[in-house]
Amino acid sequence: MSDMPLKSWLTTAPFRVRGWLDGLFDVRRTIAPTATAADFGRTSDPPAVDLLAPLYEVVEALPDPVMVIGAVEPDDFAGRRILFANLAAREMFRLSAENTLLVAAVRNPEVLDVVDEALFKDRLGQAAYETGGAQERYRRAWARPLSPAQGGMKRALLLVRDETDARRNERMRADFLANASHELRTPLASLAGFIDTLRGHAKDDEAARNRFLDIMDRQAWRMARLIEDLMSLSRIELNEHIAPQGQVDLRLALADVVDALSPQAREAGVTIRQTAVEKGRAVVTGDRDQIVQVVQNLVDNAIKYAGRGGTVDIGLEVGLAAEAAVTLRKPHAARLSLLTPDHADGLYAAIRVSDTGPGLSRQVLPRLTERFYRVEGQKSGERLGTGLGLAIVKHIMNRHRGGLAVESVEGEGAEFLVYFPLAANAGAVTKAS
Amino acid sequence: MEHTVKAYSEELNNLTAEVTRLGGLAEAQLSDSIDAVAHRDLPVAHQVIDRDDKLDLLQAEIERKAIRLIALRQPVAQDLRHTVAAMKISMQLERCGDLAKNIAKRCLVLAGSEPLPPLTRSIERMGQLVTSRVKEVLDAYSKGDIERAASVWSRDDEVDEHYDSLFRELLTYMMADPRTINACAHLLFIAKNLERIGDHATNIAEIVHFEITGEELQSDRPKWDSLQRSAAVE
Repeated sequence: MSDMPLKSWLTTAPFRVRGWLDGLFDVRRTIAPTATAADFGRTSDPPAVDLLAPLYEVVEALPDPVMVIGAVEPDDFAGRRILFANLAAREMFRLSAENTLLVAAVRNPEVLDVVDEALFKDRLGQAAYETGGAQERYRRAWARPLSPAQGGMKRALLLVRDETDARRNERMRADFLANASHELRTPLASLAGFIDTLRGHAKDDEAARNRFLDIMDRQAWRMARLIEDLMSLSRIELNEHIAPQGQVDLRLALADVVDALSPQAREAGVTIRQTAVEKGRAVVTGDRDQIVQVVQNLVDNAIKYAGRGGTVDIGLEVGLAAEAAVTLRKPHAARLSLLTPDHADGLYAAIRVSDTGPGLSRQVLPRLTERFYRVEGQKSGERLGTGLGLAIVKHIMNRHRGGLAVESVEGEGAEFLVYFPLAANAGAVTKAS
Repeated sequence: MEHTVKAYSEELNNLTAEVTRLGGLAEAQLSDSIDAVAHRDLPVAHQVIDRDDKLDLLQAEIERKAIRLIALRQPVAQDLRHTVAAMKISMQLERCGDLAKNIAKRCLVLAGSEPLPPLTRSIERMGQLVTSRVKEVLDAYSKGDIERAASVWSRDDEVDEHYDSLFRELLTYMMADPRTINACAHLLFIAKNLERIGDHATNIAEIVHFEITGEELQSDRPKWDSLQRSAAVE
């Protein structure tokens, strides 16, 4: 008894094996062709009838989609039907009981080919495919031949696994390397060019030498800033899933940033205004250095875009619900939330930084936090940004379970908004002080 | 609807299955051609070019079967709409396949020039948007989902917006550096092809809607003429 394969035991067993069970045991046989009743932990006693129900439940509960496909003739496309689909498959492919066409679940030609091979040529196969869509998914499908049903219907097993995350990480890494090296190459090429010129015909021209050295100095600093930003981005990403511990008063952080950036603003001919800062404290849970970096990056950008004679407004609001924090201020403005916290309950403190610069058009808003993205038509000579500032802001805000939104009217300036969840015991801290 | 002749409903089912299969092929052609452009993957580009015949064959086959079904079964009402829709959609899909093949051919030419990473990224993004349109409308077709079809139909201008922005981006590049004109001209055609595939997706959405309800989608969709718009922007 114990040597008998489970399936033959079942067919001789004194109860009727239901249709889907047939498919089910073929599944098992394909995965482990030598499995016997003994594999299920029984040596002499036949397994209890109960064992069957759990097996059905096991397949039903598997996180990956599992389907049994049946077909009669190779030429009959409508004949390829889904005989069984577990919960994951029904959810992933939104299958309904009345529509069991295989193409309703998968229509990728390569997957259909491997299914055909399994059905009609008794061959194993796998195929990777992408599904376009708002959320692009990358999936891999395996097809395995199963024994035919009574009546001659061919059957095959189709397993699908979602490999989107792995694929996305891989692609992100490759893109990032390409971008970063491209960004470093530009200043480096200019440095090398000037060194050449200095060695050559500008050797004895003091005026030219000084001018070139100035440019080289700026380029070297640009590279240094880029590397610094890259390093801080990678540090932030490393800690992105560790919630920050400290408590930070946004009011003080804001004041520090304004102090630190006022020489730069003076030099650029920009006025910084702090508008309507409420009394009391705005304490949030967070990492002080990172919060300062967020505000600094936003104010820094605003100063750059405001231009000579422009104004940068910095506002702080405390005790808002998430929806109130992101409500539209100018009704005709283009607006986009670049980061929304997962659980937007509780109260928030919001910092708004707006400038009187040229503003941003609606099309560019979704791309602002992309690494190295620069708004087209920007005069690259005077803007010395690295293209990483807003990416850093976004990652820090994500770590702080906060949000980031942008609002802009072309020609009238842009406003960036970050909001942090208020520390739960903020009141207590206020009293203690 | 129940049919007394089982073979008849099988034939109708078969048409849907084949059109969906053709849709899968067109979808794969589209995403592969974009991949080929984005990653300069020449083997994939060749594969797209070679696979185009398969689409043409399948489209001809669907047309033949649909005509045969109309002649022999004389379908009425929903069945007739179903059959005509299969024929019309397969034509749209075949056009999508041709445009994808054209993209793949241009990719072969582009491979000989200096890479323009920001531009290929923009093309890739527009390609993803168009792919998602095609996917949604095919999902709507294979599942008979009017709402999804209508949503594809009503969001047609997103693709146009992308096209306009890409158009301006390409112009900026060409003006800044005439050496990029050759590559940019090809990228411009690729963008145009993508925009037309987006239009085909919208057409399919209209056909799906008609197939299911028997009524035309109201044509008061806010339509911006993209030429007018770029003229306004310039």
